[in-house]
Amino acid sequence: MFQSISTKSYLFLAVLLLPFSSNALAEADPKIWPVIKEAFFSNRPIEEASFIQLTAPKRAESGAQVPFSIALDNSQADAKAIKKIYVIVDANPIQLAATYNLTEALGKFSLSTRIRLETDSFVRAIGETADGKLYMAAIPIRAAGGCGGIIDANEAEVRAAAGKIKMNVESPVKFGAATPTTFIIKHPMRTGLQRDLVSQGFLPPFFINKATFTYNNKPVFDVDFNVGTSEDPYLKFDFVPSEPGTLEVKATDNEGKSFSHHVDVKG
Amino acid sequence: MLQFVIGILGLLIVSAHPHAEPLKLEKVADGVYVHHGVHEDLSEGYHGDICNIGFIIGSKGVAVIDSGGTFKVGQRFREAISKVTGLPVLYVINTHVHPDHIYGNAAFSADNPQFVGHARLADAMERRRDAYQRMHQEWLGDEFAGSEIIKPSLTVENQLTLDLGDRQLTLTAYPAAHTNTDLTVADSKTNTLWTGDLLFVERTPSIDGDIKGWITVTESLGKLTPGLVIPGHGPVVTDSRKALADQKRYLSTLLEDIRNSIKKGEVMESAMDTAAATEKGKWVLFDIVNRRNVNNIYPALEWE
Repeated sequence: MFQSISTKSYLFLAVLLLPFSSNALAEADPKIWPVIKEAFFSNRPIEEASFIQLTAPKRAESGAQVPFSIALDNSQADAKAIKKIYVIVDANPIQLAATYNLTEALGKFSLSTRIRLETDSFVRAIGETADGKLYMAAIPIRAAGGCGGIIDANEAEVRAAAGKIKMNVESPVKFGAATPTTFIIKHPMRTGLQRDLVSQGFLPPFFINKATFTYNNKPVFDVDFNVGTSEDPYLKFDFVPSEPGTLEVKATDNEGKSFSHHVDVKG
Repeated sequence: MLQFVIGILGLLIVSAHPHAEPLKLEKVADGVYVHHGVHEDLSEGYHGDICNIGFIIGSKGVAVIDSGGTFKVGQRFREAISKVTGLPVLYVINTHVHPDHIYGNAAFSADNPQFVGHARLADAMERRRDAYQRMHQEWLGDEFAGSEIIKPSLTVENQLTLDLGDRQLTLTAYPAAHTNTDLTVADSKTNTLWTGDLLFVERTPSIDGDIKGWITVTESLGKLTPGLVIPGHGPVVTDSRKALADQKRYLSTLLEDIRNSIKKGEVMESAMDTAAATEKGKWVLFDIVNRRNVNNIYPALEWE
């Protein structure tokens, strides 16, 4: 039932619509959204929802690593539960930062992650129910991207380290209760818009595109990443382990490499 | 008539240059001059004049050490130099890649000097070119007119000595610390050390390189015995030990607090509120710069 939006995720149009003013200080521009809305969710009504709560700094200290949290008020067991969340950064050249696919094993959904902002922008979480209804919350964030110091890295070292995973389930675990879990995967998450000093062109996109979490082989959480998610993708989320077992994650990058990691949960 | 108008315009343009209001200078040692910028953040409200820039005069000519944050500030700096000496500007040294130190370079193009910087400076300038250009356009508008990136024509891999006549300048390049392009300049005649942004006095040290590397460099600078130290920001100091100890304390506290936050499994944003809180009140622009430091270095420290 979920409508695929992957083919439209590379939408450059909105950037061209941004007014280029030389002096006036820009602020998150509400005029971009209608264009993006039509591209991603053509002709579908979207209701503003207070049960989707977003947290982020009003002004990001670093556009490269903007802390961003989403929490849902209703439980995954609810009949009107949100099953999928799209994170969209209006003013980014590539707007869709990530798509989160939720399951009941997450309990009340609560996630902290880090995203990229190229400039001042509204950031939105659009939630989709199993029957395709759309709900949205949005917040403006002021940001200046790209200034956060790019240390030139050795390509061989970057590639050798890419895909290394750290995962931690907070202990002691109380079975049946929300348990904070942290996942980080080492990866440059290259956007395709970063300069290549050797070729004088741009470095090709190189990013983690998927991470799938299971607990005792049952689905927990499924993330489709895009390059709007920061370097070394970070997720801190609650999940509800019902009994002792193994939390496993499998991740892939856009070049087809896969990476995995697991944590035994003993209680 | 048109020619007349163009002629008038030409006169206006020609006359605008030599009458740029000269920057205020402080003579800190024989032949050593410093202009102190004001403590503003590099953000909205920035005017392009926030760091220490200066020059050293030898018998053959002048070495400029950092050129200011815009072409216009660079022009005012050039004007100030010409009030002090008619000797040619032989070198324009950039102590690192940050825009408050390099965007005045173009004001010295007519002197045809050697532009001097760290071996990695040219690459760093190129990587940041687009972002710097866009942000400065937004912050400064017309005040940024004429500012451009000018890369070094002479680079420093480890150490380089420049002869200004009757005095030598020793330039030392460092591994990643404040940035990955840091350079110090030592003057043989007056035993003066220019640290660039490897030393902050008063202003909260901002990290855009490697905090651990910077702590090491701060320690190694403490082993030198200069008579006078000119930091990248803040007043000139005769005894740099206290300034270096303050900086090391801030950096070490920040590093330790972030490591503890990671160990506890906190989210980065809580460390942005709490890390190095004991240093608040001891530094200018602390709330802005400290939060940004945490944001910049926390993700990499998660991989220790």
